[in-house]
Amino acid sequence: MSAVLTAALIGIAMAGAIFYLVRRDHLHGSYALWWLAVAAAALLLGVFPQAIDWLGRVTGIAYAPVLPIIIGLAMILLRMLKMDIDRSRSERQLRRLTQKLGIIEQELMQARAMQRPAAIAEPTAPRTKTAQVIPLPKSGDA
Amino acid sequence: MQLTLRGRNVREKDQSNQRLLAIIPARNEAATVGEIVRRVRAVVKGDILVVNDASDDATSAQARLAGATVVDLPFQLGAWGAAQTGLRYAKRNGFDIALTLDADGQHHPEELPALLEGWRCSGAHVAIGTFPARLSAAKRLAWQYFRLLTGIGVQDFTSGLRVYDRRAISVLASRKASLLDYQDLGVLMLLRKKGLRLHEVPTVMSPRRTGGSRVFSSWLMVARYMLHTTVLCFAQFGARGRIAPARRGARA
Repeated sequence: MSAVLTAALIGIAMAGAIFYLVRRDHLHGSYALWWLAVAAAALLLGVFPQAIDWLGRVTGIAYAPVLPIIIGLAMILLRMLKMDIDRSRSERQLRRLTQKLGIIEQELMQARAMQRPAAIAEPTAPRTKTAQVIPLPKSGDA
Repeated sequence: MQLTLRGRNVREKDQSNQRLLAIIPARNEAATVGEIVRRVRAVVKGDILVVNDASDDATSAQARLAGATVVDLPFQLGAWGAAQTGLRYAKRNGFDIALTLDADGQHHPEELPALLEGWRCSGAHVAIGTFPARLSAAKRLAWQYFRLLTGIGVQDFTSGLRVYDRRAISVLASRKASLLDYQDLGVLMLLRKKGLRLHEVPTVMSPRRTGGSRVFSSWLMVARYMLHTTVLCFAQFGARGRIAPARRGARA
């Protein structure tokens, strides 16, 4: 009885922690879905450990307890692969963004350098325009 | 064949109107970059762009002083990342020809007219300036291995002295080329995959003045590089052998 209780406690605690963290909304779309599925699996296997024995019988594996470990490991590896794919995508985007930033900065400098002589040529045009003064309401006015 | 010949004729006719951009990727090359820019301008008609790969020294200022346009990268992207920045600049600004050379003085700007001439005569999309004599035994062995692996019959894969035409610029400025770390095999395989032809032009180069080759500095680096490139070949497998590169001198 106590083994079942331990398993249930671990499952519920893990699912609860994941639910809590997902609810805090720090995860992006599909990641939240993944972790909710993990929480559901932890809850299910924690509360109904006999599901593992059933799964062992269905798949023909004699030593059923090894099954969740194998499946879990495979899922973790897949998850890691997906993470590296995402990281590669981010790296590509970061590199391209960096390149574009450099090019745009150069264009900005060039545009500024071209604008400057024009401003010197006709210095009166923008300068003579006096700033329009808008009186701000004082705290006692209204 | 017809098409290439026609393309080549058009290219020769419009030669004078073609806009050329010389791209010089530079990282901490303040000592040489100014001189290289001046020497390039003396022999080539076109714009000069120095891509400053987040240098710690006065590379950017020296290049500006010499009259080059400078793009400063906010952090280091590596040799290929810097060169690609130049190619993206070329595409964005509608240049017809882009040539790249190193800022450390190992490529002589005086060789550029011959390289351009060789490229024009070959009708290839990309010309690579090579200097077979500088290859060490280890490099020769490595290149033999990669020639076998990729089927690209190029003498020197790493040479940064290259000429690209409009199509090559467009291919290499694309997102596909952004995850490459070196400008050698990955770039050449991508070009071949897109059906572009390569041509090698023998040139004269000097040994690097400051520092050694980044790739061939230690055995660990060599091992890492070989492994990295082998994996890259594996990822590109299947693109092999579709287009044979133009052999040296075959079409000249």
